[in-house]
Amino acid sequence: MPKKILRVNMTNLETKYEDVPEAYAVAGGRGLTSAIVAAEVPPDCHPLGPSAKLVFAPGLVTGTKAPSCGRISVGGKSPLTGGIKEANAGTNFAHAIAKLRIAAIIVEGQAKGGDYHLLKINKDGAELINANKWAGKGLYDTYKQILGEFGDKVNVCGAGIAAEIGGTMSGVCFSDPEGLPSRYAGRGGLGAVMASRGLKFIVADDTDAPGVEIANQEVFSAGIKKLVNALAAHDVTKPGGGLSSFGTAVLVNIINEAGGLPQRNFSAGSDDRSANISGETKAEEIKKRGGVRPHACNTGCVIRCSEVWVNPKGKEPVGVLEYESVWALGANCGIYNLDDVGELNRACNDLGVDTIEAGDTLAVAMEGGLADFGDGKGALKLLEEIRKKSPLGRIIANGTEFTGRALGVWRIPTVKGQGLPAYDPRAIKGIGVTYATTPMGADHTAGYAIATEIMGIGGQADPRDTKKSDLSRNLQLATAAIDASGYCLFIAFAVLDIPEGLEGVVESINGVYGTSLTVNDIGPIGQGIIDTELKFNKAAGFTTADDRLPEFLRTEPVPPTNEVFDVPDDEIDKVWGS
Amino acid sequence: MSVKVKLFGDLKKKSPQQTENIGAPTILTIENTGIERVMDVINKLSIEESEVSHIFVNHKYSGFRKSVKAGDTVALFPTNMSLLYKWYYPVDNE
Repeated sequence: MPKKILRVNMTNLETKYEDVPEAYAVAGGRGLTSAIVAAEVPPDCHPLGPSAKLVFAPGLVTGTKAPSCGRISVGGKSPLTGGIKEANAGTNFAHAIAKLRIAAIIVEGQAKGGDYHLLKINKDGAELINANKWAGKGLYDTYKQILGEFGDKVNVCGAGIAAEIGGTMSGVCFSDPEGLPSRYAGRGGLGAVMASRGLKFIVADDTDAPGVEIANQEVFSAGIKKLVNALAAHDVTKPGGGLSSFGTAVLVNIINEAGGLPQRNFSAGSDDRSANISGETKAEEIKKRGGVRPHACNTGCVIRCSEVWVNPKGKEPVGVLEYESVWALGANCGIYNLDDVGELNRACNDLGVDTIEAGDTLAVAMEGGLADFGDGKGALKLLEEIRKKSPLGRIIANGTEFTGRALGVWRIPTVKGQGLPAYDPRAIKGIGVTYATTPMGADHTAGYAIATEIMGIGGQADPRDTKKSDLSRNLQLATAAIDASGYCLFIAFAVLDIPEGLEGVVESINGVYGTSLTVNDIGPIGQGIIDTELKFNKAAGFTTADDRLPEFLRTEPVPPTNEVFDVPDDEIDKVWGS
Repeated sequence: MSVKVKLFGDLKKKSPQQTENIGAPTILTIENTGIERVMDVINKLSIEESEVSHIFVNHKYSGFRKSVKAGDTVALFPTNMSLLYKWYYPVDNE
């Protein structure tokens, strides 16, 4: 049985399986979501209107025995940025969809009468079930009830209360292995695109699923062996290494020391109190309280950077507190207390919002006088306005830019309307170029990848001497290719230093598809994806004037480095050659 | 005159003095006599180059040859914490 595309028409509540077009035969993850969005979504449509669509696609090797490959991409036109969006998450939901031999799910149309539905998918097919009973409900209780109703082996995807009010900070939420609503394709408001179709949840049951077809088992096995060896050998990715010991928040102390951990709405780049919310502190607390650390966000992950954070009594499991979340809801709001951060993260998960956008929004709200910096309880109260669907809650749910404007704040850290992640572009200028130029709006993961000289794209120069435009472009191309593969970006640490690991990645893809790709094909694959995304954004009205950081980052020196973002506009514009 | 050294993660074990807060660095103050570069600092603390990943001197990403003078702060991270998007960081080795 070959892979199929599942098309879900919400207007007439019909589902059908279609053949995968030849052009998409070796496409997955971001490569497939961006291609389908570009082909089927009018760039000038309203992201919450009738012409918008939401696309899900597991990666090229997702669902196989390859290590750390449980990623699923979600794509659409973003109501936050107005451009194309791909957000991805690590979850067993991704494996389940791939094992059911579904290359992509395309959700289109809009349900009549404001009804919400749940899409149930299993080996026998797909059906839509009324889900109105879960409207207005928090996702922790809802996911528990869904698992109770459909069996605890199923995997859940959903949109929360913020999505119901069209909130542009709403994410698409996937269940973790414990069934907690904690794995987010968070960025860009795709939750609202989902809810505005009338689709609230997807339940994927892979019981007796056929599994992923492997074209050449020998090549595949040899490839994953190389990658497993690289991941097991590298200090960052191996068991007991940095990521499994401390999680992604191991970066807190590092970026703080680099002067690039934004504090109190980007008014400083370092604060000694950041140590209180560091990965090292968090790991110790989890040990004391009885949470889980390390933890795999999906079956087959050998890096295991995830965790289950719990309250001081060992109760109310939250799921993972990622670096970006700890920063956004912590240091960026002047909050240096993990209990407050944990509570805020739980509220974000329950309401269905992106923690980065939420933290940026809360910090701007604090600057606008709605709470004091450092006031964890005040920040929680602001988020809870979303649950009430109050006018203030609707403002907050619409993110950093919207909230800043509503409050007359001019220091608004966004690019293309999307809040900046946890790296101050004044202290770390290269990432500022990526924030400015990625088709996604300010996004740290867009340039998180493999070194230029190892990948062989863009020349063999010492990457540290590379002009920032070349560096950013090459990183963005490599990242786009990884986002298509289904592998977690964190494999980059190992394959960066161990070339056999990168060969293993390519060989594993060749094994699944019977292709003969080489490491040199990675750059052109990434370029193809980005070209598609840039073309969509241009048609949606974007110009180079949108590839700029906000004024305050260009004029206001950030202590302790006292740097401003001073990369010239013409250097930024060289990234995509305009 | 002295140099402030901040040891993070496993490198904290290199100091007999420990901090109560597990997430905070161990902060040492060492005499700058005989110290010209980062490599002299790590030698003085019996730390091998192979045990160190990221180095910051006064918040600037630096190499082992980066000069160190009195009043500077040198922050050292162990190899299992080498998580930076290192290509974004120009290394100061002067």
